[in-house]
Amino acid sequence: MYQDDDLPRHVNRGSLKRLLRYALAYPQLLKQAAVFLLLTTLGQVLGPVLIKIFLDDYVTEGVYPLRDITLLALAYAAMYGVSAWAGYLQSMRLNEVAFSVVRRIRSQVFATVMRKPLSFFDHEPTGKLVSRITNDTEAIKDLFLQVMATFVQSVVLIVAVFIAMAFLDWRLMLVCLLMMPLMVFVMFRYQRLSAPRYHKARSILSQINGTLSESIQGMKVIQLMNQQRRFDQRFTDTSQSHFTARMRNLKLDALLLRPMPDLLRTLTLAGLLLFFGWQSMGAAVEIGVIYAFINYLSRITEPMLQMTQRLSMLQQAVVAGERVFTILDDGAEDHTAANQLIESGEVAFRDVSFSYDGEHPVLSDINFTVRPGEFYAIVGHTGSGKSTLMSLLMRFYAPQSGDILLDGKHINEVDQNSLRESVGVVMQDPFITTGSVRENITLGQDMSDEVVLAAAGQAQIHDYIMTLPEAYNTPMDERGSNFSTGQRQLLSLARTLAHKPRILILDEATANIDSHTEAVIQRALMMLRGDTSIIAIAHRLSTITAADQILVLHQGVITQRGTHQQLLSEDGLYRNMYLLQQSRVV
Amino acid sequence: MNIFLKLGWYFRAEWRRYAVAGLLLVAVDVMELMIPWLVGQLIDDVLAQRLQPESLWRYVLIIAALAVVIYVMRFFWRMYLFSASFQLAELLRQRVFKQLTTMAPAFYNRHRTGDLMARATNDVTAVEMTAGEGVLSGLDGLVTGVLVLFVMLMFINWQLTLVALLPFPFMAWFFYVIGNRLHDGFRDAQERFSDLNDRVQESVSGIRMIRAFGREAREDEVFLSVADRAAEANMRVATTDSLYDPAIFLTVGASFMLSIGMGAWLVTRGEITLGELTSFTMYLGFLIWPMFAYGWLLNLVERGNAAYTRISALLDARSPVEDSGTEQQAPSFDVSWRIGRFCYPGSDNAALANVDLLARQGQTLGIVGATGAGKTSLINLLLRYYDDPACEVGVGGIPVSGYELHALRDLVAVVPQDAFLFTATIAENIALGKPGATLDEIRAVARLAAVEQDILRFPAAYETLVGERGVTLSGGQKQRIAIARALLLDAPILILDDALSAVDVGTERSILAHLREARQGRTTLILCHRLSAVEDADQIAVLSHGELAELGTHRELLARQGWYARMFDYQQLERAVVSGR
Repeated sequence: MYQDDDLPRHVNRGSLKRLLRYALAYPQLLKQAAVFLLLTTLGQVLGPVLIKIFLDDYVTEGVYPLRDITLLALAYAAMYGVSAWAGYLQSMRLNEVAFSVVRRIRSQVFATVMRKPLSFFDHEPTGKLVSRITNDTEAIKDLFLQVMATFVQSVVLIVAVFIAMAFLDWRLMLVCLLMMPLMVFVMFRYQRLSAPRYHKARSILSQINGTLSESIQGMKVIQLMNQQRRFDQRFTDTSQSHFTARMRNLKLDALLLRPMPDLLRTLTLAGLLLFFGWQSMGAAVEIGVIYAFINYLSRITEPMLQMTQRLSMLQQAVVAGERVFTILDDGAEDHTAANQLIESGEVAFRDVSFSYDGEHPVLSDINFTVRPGEFYAIVGHTGSGKSTLMSLLMRFYAPQSGDILLDGKHINEVDQNSLRESVGVVMQDPFITTGSVRENITLGQDMSDEVVLAAAGQAQIHDYIMTLPEAYNTPMDERGSNFSTGQRQLLSLARTLAHKPRILILDEATANIDSHTEAVIQRALMMLRGDTSIIAIAHRLSTITAADQILVLHQGVITQRGTHQQLLSEDGLYRNMYLLQQSRVV
Repeated sequence: MNIFLKLGWYFRAEWRRYAVAGLLLVAVDVMELMIPWLVGQLIDDVLAQRLQPESLWRYVLIIAALAVVIYVMRFFWRMYLFSASFQLAELLRQRVFKQLTTMAPAFYNRHRTGDLMARATNDVTAVEMTAGEGVLSGLDGLVTGVLVLFVMLMFINWQLTLVALLPFPFMAWFFYVIGNRLHDGFRDAQERFSDLNDRVQESVSGIRMIRAFGREAREDEVFLSVADRAAEANMRVATTDSLYDPAIFLTVGASFMLSIGMGAWLVTRGEITLGELTSFTMYLGFLIWPMFAYGWLLNLVERGNAAYTRISALLDARSPVEDSGTEQQAPSFDVSWRIGRFCYPGSDNAALANVDLLARQGQTLGIVGATGAGKTSLINLLLRYYDDPACEVGVGGIPVSGYELHALRDLVAVVPQDAFLFTATIAENIALGKPGATLDEIRAVARLAAVEQDILRFPAAYETLVGERGVTLSGGQKQRIAIARALLLDAPILILDDALSAVDVGTERSILAHLREARQGRTTLILCHRLSAVEDADQIAVLSHGELAELGTHRELLARQGWYARMFDYQQLERAVVSGR
């Protein structure tokens, strides 16, 4: 998994606000949650008050009128019931808000990534992008599910407890209030101290895991070099430093995390008792009050502890949010202004030059015109620039200089949908999607059964499909494993034929496909010829002998062009390639 | 609970830490119980109006002192208990690593890296939790539960206790059920999350095809449905989790109501005091933790047991190749193969058959042949990656199994097909087998491998970091660094296993020339596809389908007009095409 390990010292308030604003899109849920929250808090706070009334008004007095007692008991039971019920509903509403928000952020960031210019993917490692879409949004989920919910619930409860205390006895309440600044101080102090320490321990752990995985992969080398002992020693050292780092965390946790709020609470209890005892020596006091205060006191520490523990999640979530926003704000590729349509299928390259890094040219001054219905082939050694040429034609990248014209219109002015519909591709590695066989041919487009069957028949895959358990409705296995490689190619061909593109790009498989598949593809292409412009990237020269024009590419430059016969008669790269393929040694 | 027996060796070894932590835990539990009792006493004094300033101060100061002592003790038991469990985790990790270093390559063919990693990460954590939190919840839960019950029964009122505890079994049962459901839910959520990861991974790596077919909107839909499944699984966990608070709240509420009701009756009858009733309700709050602890403990034990079984299986595994040889020195550096028939474990197809081959000390033997012809199998046998009684492979006339593994590896330096570099500096990578090498030594071999010019062009030259956080090297650069690394060992036998494939022909020629100079009197084996690498070898063996098809010098083999000669012509033509002619 991809590891990101930068953690700033301060939370970025702008990003936090922006994250929280997402929740405002669900006012209904938020309102309901607020009502339920108040209800449950009220129940929690009123319970001790009822007991206090019972103790002071009845038990201490020693009188038990049946009606009053029954009423009190019923009120108590009802309140607990309602409070528990409201508490459950309240957290369900907040859960729903959290999941809705994450759903929106996830779909936004995914959709944006899917529409980024392709050059974006050249610089960003796949693992990192995946982590943006999954791990970072998961951290944002925790912000809403764990941090926000806990903070809102805790703060409301604590405030309500103090209000109830004030009603019972404001002086005793002030005694309890004394501990709050200390608790808050401990909370932030802990957060400040623990964040870098946890970060340290985590990064040592990821170092351990990195070393482990690297050593497993390179174990042969380690053993061949007789370095087992040295690697073992180094691993042990890292592992021990992880132990030391965790012990530092442990020390901090043990000092400030759980024992500390308990200490403060018990000390407050001592203060409470001192004040109460002192009062009792001067005037009559109510036992129920001290009972209620003891009860309230025990309810404050747990929420404080929870908030303390969740503060670091807040920080991580905001950092994750910032990274996600960077992707969203950089935006996606936009071709909405382009509206030209492709009709006849003419392709022209005019002095096209291209380089991925702006330094090393991959294509230089490429010039050619494929008239509608013509069959062009591009050949060349690995790295000659063939695939790049196709990428430009599909508008994956824009050339640095020169123009690509489709039907005489600049490629940038062609409507996105028209481009996709008119330019069909048969890829080296056929793209198989989950879903049924039929959906793999239609790709979700509206298409009559005749068209689908005709295309499958033309690609000679119809008979095979009919042998499948549910024919065209058979679901594809993961990555299409119920089809052989050759059959997947034919399926991909059927798909392309069904979509009737104006321009067909054929990226021939490097790996040897069986001669049957090859013959089928050949025949299908010959049928399209004259009607559809075909540009084939060929590895096997035997498949393109019938091309109208063959372009020989070497290091990004067209070095030869002509028909198969013309090129064979010339002494040059094409002829050598041809001879090479004739004399393949096994 | 079996896992605690299995971990007995560790508890015995660390008995001091566990004993101190246990004693402190018990002491804390006892002292914690004293506080409610003191509060009850104080309230009774107030009610009886016999509270004096001195006694009030005494109560308050005792409570405050207890609070401080408890705090200190809590700090220490945490330090003792968790340091023991943390150390266990590191110990297991270290043992796993050590074990891995002794395993022969065949072991790694059987175990996927991810699986081995899981044992050293997730499984170790699960065992650590058992030895830390598990011990805590078991011991502390038990002690607290027993003590509280004892105090309630003996010092307050046994009838009241029984009535007040009526709802608690329900809570224990609930914690157990919810704990299990939560655990299953977590696992499910994790699986759904990894589905999500896979899905995104697939989409991002298939971005070109998605664009080519205009499938962005469809991908969005599919993604959203997978993301929704992940969210649903998460939602189930959150829903289950949301049940905790109301359930605790209801149980405790019911218990409070019962105890206050019954308690009031007892107070009126004079069987207990109001102060005792207050202490009693405070004790009730103490019982939540033991209920929770047991549900948790069962969970931890279950997971820890499964994890420890997997770790033990790994630690008990034996390497497929035994280090039983005793020879330290080789009488000469001749390498010989006499192979009847060799199949890889689990396969019936002969990888090698009837191969009788000898490389004399000081000579260079070229081994060529199509992919899968058995070239690397020869090396695998020489390095004892596999042992097979039907194969006699020897160095200096002694079978390789007669050597101590360490000694055998000292005899041979190998440049493998895939040059593996570690995340370290270039200098460290070259000096992998000789960590004490000076920079001059490193530079000398880098020059022999014709890679120094490349290295000097990197930002920090020899100190440049390799890998994800450092520079990315080309295949040819990696290969040449691996060659330099092998040369630094200056071993009597050098093997280049298709180690020049990504290097251009000119560089290959100069490396080979350097080798001839530097390796006089030593044996060199060159395995390759490109015949130019073996043109000057003393002897060339051509393998075909595991058998020795041709043997001779470059000239002799060309004259035979066999596979070698045909391949040579083909590669000549290929070279012309690559250079654009």
